Amino acid sequence: MSTNNNKQTLRATKNVGAIVKDWMSLVGIALLIVVFSIISYAKFGAQYFLTWSNWKTILLQSSTVAIVALGQSIMLLTGNFDLSLGRMVCLTSCVGAVLMKNVGMNTGLAIVIMFAIGLTVGLINGLMVAYVGVPAMIATLGTQYICYGVAKLLTQAVPIPKMPDSIAWMGRGYILNGTIPVCVILMLVLYIVAQFITSKTKVGRNLYAVGGSREAAFFSGINVKLYQLGTFLLGGVLATFGGLVLMSRLNSVAVTNGQNYEFDAVISSIIGGVSLAGGKGRVIGTMFGCIFLNTLFNGFSQMGVDPFVQDVLKGVVLVLAVTLDVASNKKKS
Amino acid sequence: MNDYILSLKNITKEFPGVKALDDVTINVERGTIHGLVGENGAGKSTLIKVLAGIYQPNAGEVILEGEARHFSSPIEARGAGISVVHQEIKLAEPLSVAENMFLGNVMMKGGLVDWAGMRRRAREIVDDLGMDIDINAQVSSLTVAKKQVVEIMHAINNNSKVLIMDEPSAVLTDRELEVMFRIVKQLRAKGITIIYISHRLDEVFDLCDNVSVLRDGRHIDTLPISQVTRQGLITMMVGREMGQEYPKEKGVIGETILKVEHLSRGILKDISFEVKSGEVFGISGLVGAGRTELARAILGIDKPESGEIYVRGKRVKYHTFSDAIRDGLGLIPEDRKLQGLVQIMSVKKNTTLVNMKRVIRCGVISNKLENELSEEYSKKLRVSTPSMDTEVQYLSGGNQQKVVIAKWLFQESEILFLDEPTRGIDVGAKAEIYRLINQMVKEGKTVIMISSEMPEILGMCDRVMVMHEGHKMGELLAEEATQEKIMALCT
Repeated sequence: MSTNNNKQTLRATKNVGAIVKDWMSLVGIALLIVVFSIISYAKFGAQYFLTWSNWKTILLQSSTVAIVALGQSIMLLTGNFDLSLGRMVCLTSCVGAVLMKNVGMNTGLAIVIMFAIGLTVGLINGLMVAYVGVPAMIATLGTQYICYGVAKLLTQAVPIPKMPDSIAWMGRGYILNGTIPVCVILMLVLYIVAQFITSKTKVGRNLYAVGGSREAAFFSGINVKLYQLGTFLLGGVLATFGGLVLMSRLNSVAVTNGQNYEFDAVISSIIGGVSLAGGKGRVIGTMFGCIFLNTLFNGFSQMGVDPFVQDVLKGVVLVLAVTLDVASNKKKS
Repeated sequence: MNDYILSLKNITKEFPGVKALDDVTINVERGTIHGLVGENGAGKSTLIKVLAGIYQPNAGEVILEGEARHFSSPIEARGAGISVVHQEIKLAEPLSVAENMFLGNVMMKGGLVDWAGMRRRAREIVDDLGMDIDINAQVSSLTVAKKQVVEIMHAINNNSKVLIMDEPSAVLTDRELEVMFRIVKQLRAKGITIIYISHRLDEVFDLCDNVSVLRDGRHIDTLPISQVTRQGLITMMVGREMGQEYPKEKGVIGETILKVEHLSRGILKDISFEVKSGEVFGISGLVGAGRTELARAILGIDKPESGEIYVRGKRVKYHTFSDAIRDGLGLIPEDRKLQGLVQIMSVKKNTTLVNMKRVIRCGVISNKLENELSEEYSKKLRVSTPSMDTEVQYLSGGNQQKVVIAKWLFQESEILFLDEPTRGIDVGAKAEIYRLINQMVKEGKTVIMISSEMPEILGMCDRVMVMHEGHKMGELLAEEATQEKIMALCT
């Protein structure tokens, strides 16, 4: 209808409802904390949930997925997604382990090769999706299988234990007298940098434009294909980095490393408020989405819920989050 | 007594915060073409939706053939004989013409779909209208005009008594329009009543028997078309004297700023022309004449096969559109919804998107600068928006177009291509866009306007180039150009 209220100032103020919706994942985490700490008292007569050592575990478990999910959420922002991320974690860490342990290569060189592989897979994905026009679902499903297959061939699906000490600090190191895990710091730093770039720079704004409308972005002089390719490359780099941190944290590599990370990343992004349709949301929300998921499962484990039930719950959370998102968008228009 | 097939009695429809329709009473005579006009946001779409059963009015009633009716769904309205041909074509593209004509209304025989019967009936309708359409063709292979005819056929196949047409002409060329007019008149001859919504007043005068004017949700008047003048109708629509429809003012004309020589690409064959700074240069021709293609080839979106382009006397070869943008060229594209704006982005962010560096300090977007500058442009262009953070998808067509223009003014483009800048925009907003064109050329900027609306070309341009099937057919000065001369060149 007509919008003739052209007032003196054209700035909008947000209402409380909109703010809560924007930070749904944080509100969720707060609620979980309240619920689980009460349950902990009720059940055990003592606080096991809201302790620093438990939260260290939660954050530690969140960190590797969150690093990979950062790439996914930036791709979601531009209206793409990458199903190969999880298996890329697997492939790069397997290659790294084989080179470091079986070949005895210099660790630094092995890491460079890991990143080269991650970039190559990202490049293939990006070229297929952005330049050839293969649907992201098909292109990255293909590379997902290729990554997994090559990883299995290389390792014969046998786990490789004991990673070199020189990379131990990443996944098992602590700072400040053993209080804060290094990988949590890595996650935080990456997300803060990414949040800054996506919200405060031209590159970030253009990513949102590409996700909002490829055509309109093109007619604004944005190199739409290059931006898409860039996000796939970044996805590859972050998946590799996630793989590196994971192999350090677990101090072993198996072909199950990174399994389902791509989906966990999508779920975290959506819970974090990134729209599946592209062009909307904040990347930092994805980190909180990851933490929310891990908080939920940590709490359930403490309560003694069957771990097999957790997959069911993950599904329920995803469906709920998407339904809420879709429903609230509908109401607006 | 008058024979009214349809009466709206005291219809009021409120939305939170807005009265979209306020006590509207309109009578529609049987077997007439009834025009419905008004600016964007006047309540036309809401009225149609009430008639079509999509909205239920808060007060008042719809009387169809003397009987008060309440439509609680579009299916009920259709069942009662009211069909709508919407502005945006809503057909199942991969299906055939015949299948589309029977969408939601499939003929059955012995529990199975009666294909033979449907094809027979479809052919009857097509022949009846004297159309050349293959009923077995896939709809996606048809031209826009033919798709629209399929929509109309789908509607009348429902045995409609009242057919509502919401801006059917917005996407049609002049020649296609003639065919559409013929069809509409044929339908009237068959006794179908038509409610015809259009922004093009010429059509309303050519076609309609009566016309109703809406403004700000209120019914202003309903009159036989013979009793209104064009100027009178405009005054009723906007609620004030409009002055001239095309308020052309001369720009500051300077040196040649763009020169194209022997440009060829795809359908474009050997095009040469020159434009001076401060000029409004029109490119006229039928849809498909290669006008948009010409703009794309100049702007580096498509690569020319041969020919030369000079900007400010210097030979240029743009590899991408952004090269052209950096060089001071810009394009307000044909499809404002899809190409002009990122619909889910705010007015503010759309305004600054092409020229982020004006709001960036040390690599970082300055919120303060962005707010101030984008607000300045919105005010200058009189964009009507609740806030700068409102997503553009919630603005009316005219306001969206102003944001697109704001975006390119913000970029400070010197040579701006406008591709169908006023398509689907109401009279008031059109006048504002013309005012902006005046303002641009007065600042020494150059405007190259592609338009299918002949009066607009004649009213606003200094010179006109006429194109036909990729060829330049001629060039006319504003003083010597007439509709007839242009038509003679472009066909």
